[in-house]
Amino acid sequence: MRLSLPLMGLLTVMAPAQADEIVSGSTFLSPELRRQQDDPTRNPAWFWVDQGRDLFAAKRSGGGQACLDCHADPATSLRGAATHYPQVDPSSGKLLNLEGRIEQCRVERQQQPAFGYETAEMLSLTAYIASLSRGLPMSVRTDGPAQPFFEAGKAFYERRQGQLNLSCKQCHDGLVGQKLRGDTISHGVGTGYPAYRLEWNTVGSLHRRLRACSLGVRATQFDYGSPEYLALELYLAGRAKGLPVETPAMRR
Amino acid sequence: MFNARITVPPQAKAGEPVEIKVLVRHPMDRGGQSDGKGGIVPRKILNRMTATYAGAEIFRIDMNTGVAANPFVSFCTRAVETGDIVFEWREDGGATYTRTARLTVA
Repeated sequence: MRLSLPLMGLLTVMAPAQADEIVSGSTFLSPELRRQQDDPTRNPAWFWVDQGRDLFAAKRSGGGQACLDCHADPATSLRGAATHYPQVDPSSGKLLNLEGRIEQCRVERQQQPAFGYETAEMLSLTAYIASLSRGLPMSVRTDGPAQPFFEAGKAFYERRQGQLNLSCKQCHDGLVGQKLRGDTISHGVGTGYPAYRLEWNTVGSLHRRLRACSLGVRATQFDYGSPEYLALELYLAGRAKGLPVETPAMRR
Repeated sequence: MFNARITVPPQAKAGEPVEIKVLVRHPMDRGGQSDGKGGIVPRKILNRMTATYAGAEIFRIDMNTGVAANPFVSFCTRAVETGDIVFEWREDGGATYTRTARLTVA
């Protein structure tokens, strides 16, 4: 019995290296960066959330409706909304992520010009709406109409590509916890996005991060919101099922 | 787009040191890139931040291109009286931004 306590401590220390379960990207941050992420007085990504909250309440030009006019009390009504994206839009049959849904709402219902994928406005609104689901587990649908997209994302994840001839899976399943260009390889779950990346000095979308990965293996960089990245995003969200939403996170 | 998040203790005792934390949203563009029309983009950073409290300047920092975007600054001062701490930032090109934070001294 006297031995059991140190032994248990040893097992706990060793557990992350052995365990095969998917963990959040925050697990791989340095302790200092993690403290900064968890401290709203020091995490600059909260500026984007603040901007998104303002945009959400702002009246549109020409007497148009604000987001808030339909989605009253967003802290309750939209709590958990981000955990279900990407999802298949029933009317068009297309796969939409949170950015796609916001843009659709803006163009079709508010009759306003589209923001554009990586604009400050789109990032702010996405960060704000995702932040309303902070701490809730990811729960996207991967069956039914979403299944072909999920399968396509899985195939993308497992396919070797680029001049370096690497698949996502080789690093993000096979080499998790090891080093790559000074950073630690994570499971590649996107639960913190839109996130503030130190490399960017700003907040960026998950698709911007995926483009950086594609560039890293010298493969084709697909467009923001492209079907390839949307399917991959669904697969990553399906892999991350049960992990809490952490937006707005900080990443290296 | 400029914005600031200033954190002061909710209450302080007179004579007690307090920590002030300031996070600023600013791209801190060091300039020098091509503007695509044969010229270069000029530097545009916040080059100075000052804090004034109880009639005196309590903190000043001159910033340069080595400072990251969205800089975070924290410093300590002594609480003397209830009043506003006035922060002012000076941007390249002459623009200034001002924010205040209330320090309550019991």
